[in-house]
Amino acid sequence: MRGEVAIVGYGRTPYTRLKPGEPVLTVDEYIAWAAELALKSAGMSKTDFDDQGLGVAHAEAAHTVNWSAATAETLGISPQILLRADQGGASASSLLIRAAALIKAGVIDRALIVGADTPLSIPSAAPGLPLSPERTRGVYWDFQGPFGVMGASAQFALIQQRYMHQYPVTLEQLGKIASTTRYHASLNPQAIYRKPFSVEEYINSRVLSDPIRLLDCVPIVNGGLAYIVTSAETARKITDNPVYLLGFGETNNYYHGSRSLPDVTTTGFVKSGPAALKMAGVTHTDIQVFEPYDDYPFIVMMTLEDWGFCRKGEGDRFVAERNFRFDGDFPMLTDGGQLSGGQPGGAIGGFAPLIEAVTQLRGEAGARQVKGATIAASCGFGGIPYGRPGRTCIGLIFGTEA
Amino acid sequence: MSTPISAENKPLPVITDLTRPFWTSAKEGRFVLQKCGHCGTFQFQPKPWCIECGSRDLAWTPAKPTGTVYTFTISRSVAMNFPGWEAELPVLMCLIDLDDGARLYGQVTDCAPDKIHIGMRVEVHFKDISEDAGIPKFRPIAGT
Repeated sequence: MRGEVAIVGYGRTPYTRLKPGEPVLTVDEYIAWAAELALKSAGMSKTDFDDQGLGVAHAEAAHTVNWSAATAETLGISPQILLRADQGGASASSLLIRAAALIKAGVIDRALIVGADTPLSIPSAAPGLPLSPERTRGVYWDFQGPFGVMGASAQFALIQQRYMHQYPVTLEQLGKIASTTRYHASLNPQAIYRKPFSVEEYINSRVLSDPIRLLDCVPIVNGGLAYIVTSAETARKITDNPVYLLGFGETNNYYHGSRSLPDVTTTGFVKSGPAALKMAGVTHTDIQVFEPYDDYPFIVMMTLEDWGFCRKGEGDRFVAERNFRFDGDFPMLTDGGQLSGGQPGGAIGGFAPLIEAVTQLRGEAGARQVKGATIAASCGFGGIPYGRPGRTCIGLIFGTEA
Repeated sequence: MSTPISAENKPLPVITDLTRPFWTSAKEGRFVLQKCGHCGTFQFQPKPWCIECGSRDLAWTPAKPTGTVYTFTISRSVAMNFPGWEAELPVLMCLIDLDDGARLYGQVTDCAPDKIHIGMRVEVHFKDISEDAGIPKFRPIAGT
């Protein structure tokens, strides 16, 4: 699969925290806006996707049962193939893998992949609190909500606490990851929070659920993103700077150790990261830009370990020793990540790392551009299983040469 | 289906035939888990077959009401839950490794926040939450 497909365009709408006076758009409107930006970036039109592929990432906002077909109707596109991903923050990455396989098989030549969510506009199941009706359905909720689990911040706090128990992890290095995102956000006009903060401010920020602090958490926003993937042959015809998919790896519902009592401090990236590198035929030192899924800084540290950039338990030292700034020796989270850039719902934030990797390789990252970057990696990380981190872990490797 | 809410303004489970024995037993002060008749695994949360071997031969079986704190968090505000929890803040939420080999989310009560720790031995106690259901919580085992 190496170099068989390329991303030829992408779009990201402005994000909003819905301050008074800011427009309230629906998911459909954000999808159309993001698709328009992606088509413009690729120099294509929506008719180019008749008889081709359309992929839609599941949103948290209510939508119809046959959501991908309804989206095709909304956009007035008649695709041959509809793809829908319900893998949370891994959906954008998994849709790329599915589309690539269909393109490689010759079923389609190209696909438009879209996602948007409006978590700030969803009626809450608990008035005054951000709790979408979508999150309170089924056994999964029945054995958490009534037990007193306080959502993602508590679920991930439990994982971080165990991680800090098993390995030497310091708040200083988690704070370095968090403050690096804000530094990059200060260079990215599209990021939602752009005022830099220090490691001390991170450590002193309000504790929500020990050890998770306010500055460990992503700001939720409304917004939409999209990208376009084509066969390598088509990509070369329509653009001078295609970004080729060189490798991918995917794990779903990974257990580290036993199913009943797994070790929660190792994620599925321990398989999918190395698999992506192997397919791409590159090693860790070839990666010039790394875009992990930063729903929490400690997840970034675990991701670095599990990909194999350092050994398990050495993440803290690795973070201390490396410079993650765009002009440093390990550029990472160069758009501000989701921690400072914003997360358009738990399901759509996963477009951002992929799109930032592409942005960097196309040389379109402006003030945060990593000079001469030719190989980048990004992560999809989706869903919170019962008592474990990350249902889906996807690694992607991109390059400017096939 | 919307989430049913208790008189304390906390969420209640939607009880199905699959999960009813758990809630009913807890209301009666008994701690039961699904046990696989094929491989003997206890599992939680309830599932339609054994996640170890795939057997549908599962039976609700009394489990040892004791375990060890695998990890903990001290929730200081209500998030993605219902306002009724405000009255209990901070909530000591743990993942408990039961002595019978399953892991579950469990609130530890009767414990000062600065005393909770990984490895703490805990035992089950029950709280009535509705006419149909009770819920297991945990407290430190005295003298351990």
